[in-house]
Amino acid sequence: MGIRSFIHRLTAPSPKRSILIDEEVKMVFIINSELKMGKGKIAAQVGHAAVSSTLKSGDKTPELLEAWLASGQKKICVKGNDAEHLLQLEKQSRERDITTVKINDAGHTQIPSGSLTVLSLGPDLETNLNKITGDLKLL
Amino acid sequence: MLSNHNEPTMVLVARKDLKLSTGKLAVQCAHAATSCTIIAIKKEKRLFERWKNNGARKICLQVDDLNSLQMIAGQAQSSNLITHIVKDAGHTEIPPGTVTVLGIGPGPRRSIDAIVQDLKPY
Repeated sequence: MGIRSFIHRLTAPSPKRSILIDEEVKMVFIINSELKMGKGKIAAQVGHAAVSSTLKSGDKTPELLEAWLASGQKKICVKGNDAEHLLQLEKQSRERDITTVKINDAGHTQIPSGSLTVLSLGPDLETNLNKITGDLKLL
Repeated sequence: MLSNHNEPTMVLVARKDLKLSTGKLAVQCAHAATSCTIIAIKKEKRLFERWKNNGARKICLQVDDLNSLQMIAGQAQSSNLITHIVKDAGHTEIPPGTVTVLGIGPGPRRSIDAIVQDLKPY
């Protein structure tokens, strides 16, 4: 490899995943159920996660975002055991190139500052996400 | 809390009378938050940026019923705030078309507080 193509490889944007969207696209939120958060708290944390994921996927996977928005923004909430469980699911999702967002709470209320409250995955194809979160219980 | 009291904020006003499950409530609020954000990006880019850079503050409040929700929505709209009303698709728990959550903002904190100051946190 010549020096120019080497430099190009370092600086070029990484190739986008090419995706055939022929099924439902959804977003999944995994709640850290070890933290004892109230209903409204969970709702606000999931709200954060949804907004961040929307913005992130707008940069990373715009075609998935478009498909998700156009099909009514399907979302579900499932239970994760604890922070470690969430991190493990995050790792698995990254290996599959799924958009991930972690929400760490600012800690104004209810729980210690910096706690990992929610992991959000997607928007992505339902079958991709089910491989990772298919066994988790609905919240 | 925040030192600057007029930084943009967002509130998610949910109907208490529907007695939604935690997961359902969270999803409905997320829906409101996402839709309001998209409106803000299109209509009020600078406000959106300021809100995002200040931690995209949001809280979840409760109202007793549909009437109160619509009253709050009316007040927010006449103050020219961004609003979005979520109607559930009705796949689970409640009939299709049920109004569940009202999202207000991102908008100046003072204007929003003036409308929702009497509401309790959910």
